[in-house]
Amino acid sequence: MNNRRFARTAGWLVLLCVVAAGLLAWYVTRQPASPFEQQQATSFEPALVSRGEYVARVSDCVACHSLTGKQPFAGGLEMATPLGAIHATNITPDREHGIGAYSLADFDRAVRHGVAPGGRRLYPAMPYPSYVKLNDDDVKALYAFFMQGVQPANQANIPSDIPWPLNMRWPIALWNGVFAPTATYAANPGQDALWNRGAYIVQGPGHCGSCHTPRGLAFNEKALDESGAPFLAGALLDGWYAPSLRQDHNTGLGRWSEAQIVQFLKTGRNAHAVVYGSMTEAFNNSTQFMQDEDLAAIARYLKSLPGDPQRDGSPWQYQAVAITPAQNLGAHTYATRCASCHGLDGKGQPEWMPPLAGATSALAKEDASAINITLNGSQRVVTAGLPDAYRMPAFREQLSDEEIAQVLTYVRSTWGNQGGTVDTKAVGKLRGHTDPASSSPIILHMR
Amino acid sequence: MELRINQKAYQVDAEADTPLLWVIRDNLGLTGTKYGCGLAQCGACSVLVDGNVVRSCVTPVAGVVGREITTIEAIEEDEVGKRVVATWVERQVAQCGYCQSGQVMAATALLKHTPAPTAEQINAAMINLCRCGTYNAIQSAMQDLAKQESV
Repeated sequence: MNNRRFARTAGWLVLLCVVAAGLLAWYVTRQPASPFEQQQATSFEPALVSRGEYVARVSDCVACHSLTGKQPFAGGLEMATPLGAIHATNITPDREHGIGAYSLADFDRAVRHGVAPGGRRLYPAMPYPSYVKLNDDDVKALYAFFMQGVQPANQANIPSDIPWPLNMRWPIALWNGVFAPTATYAANPGQDALWNRGAYIVQGPGHCGSCHTPRGLAFNEKALDESGAPFLAGALLDGWYAPSLRQDHNTGLGRWSEAQIVQFLKTGRNAHAVVYGSMTEAFNNSTQFMQDEDLAAIARYLKSLPGDPQRDGSPWQYQAVAITPAQNLGAHTYATRCASCHGLDGKGQPEWMPPLAGATSALAKEDASAINITLNGSQRVVTAGLPDAYRMPAFREQLSDEEIAQVLTYVRSTWGNQGGTVDTKAVGKLRGHTDPASSSPIILHMR
Repeated sequence: MELRINQKAYQVDAEADTPLLWVIRDNLGLTGTKYGCGLAQCGACSVLVDGNVVRSCVTPVAGVVGREITTIEAIEEDEVGKRVVATWVERQVAQCGYCQSGQVMAATALLKHTPAPTAEQINAAMINLCRCGTYNAIQSAMQDLAKQESV
């Protein structure tokens, strides 16, 4: 009797497990629906192709899918993750290694849902949790551009070096179920067209949150639109601190006008700051190509995101200081190395050399950006094909860890700045991580 | 735009972000001011703007419109500058000489603000680089100049 009962229970349990496994297998390999399911498009109007090129600019596809000096969109950028390196793939219309064999629906599923043909899940280094907001027209235009406006490159993809079993892709489907939205952008009827266009670009193609929104334990962005307070509230990644894009007076865009936001995205500079760090690439490849009305829309939307005075600290105000270069190592280093451009008064030479008085890197508690730019300098800012006249030099070879820590401590505690002290060890650590010959590259190279 | 250099007005046709150094050398042909590193690190391009030493390779020309610029060509028209040059000659400071116009500008700016600088103040202000290593000669000249004023 007992045996029979046990057998029956066990039987049910096995059946339940089989069903659960079947459901799981179905779920993690399932192809999400696409509105383009039955469409076979092979040739496209030039207007659609050029519209798609614009969407690709706004989405900054080249940032990861192209390497400098190599064929555009042939892939190859290495991204270090805690588990191993992955590489951006070839997205040229090459039929063997690229996406030439993708139907419009396949392309849609990859871009908006992170699912490759056959159900293989992409790593969320591809910002599909943002791209899902793209509307159907933009996805179709993007497809037209990649199929007809991009030269095919017969270049094989580089396999990831993440070891088994960590390289299995199906668990990403579960991650998607929890963290990746499935709906395209829905206009907010309470806001005007300009605001909605800005929200669309910032949340969707622009994927600003990939860098500027803090991530949770599962590397998920903590918010994907303005309904969450962490959205664009500033985040540390790749050895840079991407500042808040909310109305935070000190560490965000609180002191920036809409016109200044537009100017920054269009020319790479304004009275407050000059692009540096990862933003240089975003500017060089993407924001400067955006249409004026789209930049105005972005500015309108960003200005509508409230700041958080508690996180931001007391509002910065300029405080003049007496010039005594010899007072300590930090002040002396500042006077000899920094003041020619940034001024002994810290006010810089706007809009060419940014002020350090009131700079987000000198007000934010996170000191990574200040250390990184001092060690490694800034990259070339290229506006409308012309390189910048002035650039932050790299002090890696010229200043010791202690000298950098001291000078940054001086900068971050002078002129009303409240970023605070910089630890010598923190400089040494970032120096090691950003050494081109380092064997411990920065964790998670995401954009 | 109009620039005032060495008490003369010059009409200049240049982009706002052009480094002052290029305007001085290329547009106006005042080649006494030298290009060294282009990154504000060496000081070879030093000029005076309203009496303060400025590295002209990192000074956008738009920022110095309406201000008084002095280059090495006119430094001897300045009382302090004249003494600096005389002492430089007396101490035979220069070797190859490439950085010396910048060194003279830095010295003049220091002595204008601080007529009798201490050794510490000299060290803090005379930070231009010299490939030939004339630092000792510069030190001696500066000490002479500091003494001249305190006598």
